[in-house]
Amino acid sequence: MNCTRYERWLWDDLEGRLSVAQAQELRQHLQACPHCQRRWEAAQVTYQALRTLPRRRAPEHLTQQVWARVQEASARKPAFAWWKRVALAPALGVLAAAAWWGWLAVNSEHGGVSGTATASQNADNWVEIHEQLEVADWSPTPTPSYFITTGYTR
Amino acid sequence: MVSDTVSYTGRRIEVDALSAEARLVERAQAQDETAFEQIMNLYADRLYNYILRMVGNPADAEDLLQEAFLRAYQGLPSFDGRASLSTWLYRIATNLCIDHQRKRARRVQTVSYFAWEDEEGEPGEWEFPDTQTPNPMESALNRELQQVVEQAIGSLSPKLRTVLLLYDVENLSYEEIARVLNIPMGTVKSRLNHARGQIQKQVEAYLRGESK
Ligand SMILES: [Zn+2]
Repeated sequence: MNCTRYERWLWDDLEGRLSVAQAQELRQHLQACPHCQRRWEAAQVTYQALRTLPRRRAPEHLTQQVWARVQEASARKPAFAWWKRVALAPALGVLAAAAWWGWLAVNSEHGGVSGTATASQNADNWVEIHEQLEVADWSPTPTPSYFITTGYTR
Repeated sequence: MVSDTVSYTGRRIEVDALSAEARLVERAQAQDETAFEQIMNLYADRLYNYILRMVGNPADAEDLLQEAFLRAYQGLPSFDGRASLSTWLYRIATNLCIDHQRKRARRVQTVSYFAWEDEEGEPGEWEFPDTQTPNPMESALNRELQQVVEQAIGSLSPKLRTVLLLYDVENLSYEEIARVLNIPMGTVKSRLNHARGQIQKQVEAYLRGESK
């Protein structure tokens, strides 16, 4: 008996994606196979439970709070632009100086110790920034305590 | 009276409803605030439940929901009216949840999805769908089962959880999910299979009395 084949069919059957012949074949197998029968019951219960999970109403005053955020965001915008303009010039200056020191260190055989240190520090910083960007993948699997159900009583 | 329906992303949706939504988006894009409020009212509950199950914490979910609508409002001018509004909103919400989880990756979540409290610190009320049985014994079993399923959802990796929630709980089609997550449909299906398999395993253990 090829149980894997039928296990794959369970959810398709629940969603009505099996042909009549396939559905019939599945029924026959389920009658003969307690293992798949258990899988079938679990799949059915899971399917139903997922579609009838309790739902909550969205919090009240949502629209007011969103409008408040919209106002806050639009009020923040010009200030940010102003800050950016002021901060950008020195930041560019620092970058240019760093690049120049780096270039000096690489190109001069006797390029002072401080110059070399700056260059390698810069490289480290870039690696660090790059790694931070790379880390931007999914978080690890949540621990079982993710949904601790303390308030539930039978 | 338009009675025709179109096959839209695998599900049949009334032409009327689609064009009504398109008009709503157009009005919102023209700075009509009531139109945007209507959009919020239409999607608030759906997005809230999705976000809540993604992050598992009502306070964070409320914050992220507000942020999602703020981003939507700010993004409206560049929203292509031919795309589906719901796909776009779920995409914004999903990205926010992902960012949120990245920031919180190292923190342990201890807030329960089931044992939540309202603003006054009182135990909050769930709204159960119509399938709730009048038989208290049966409904207690239902609740216990739902708790098992909620826990199983919470233990899924965010990648799997997203797809499972969007398909089996939020009722989006494969095509819509592929667009929300910007991944191929085959990936949607395989993630869904994995997620369902994991939940089903825990339900099966529960049904056999192994989870206690
Ligand atoms: Zn079998």
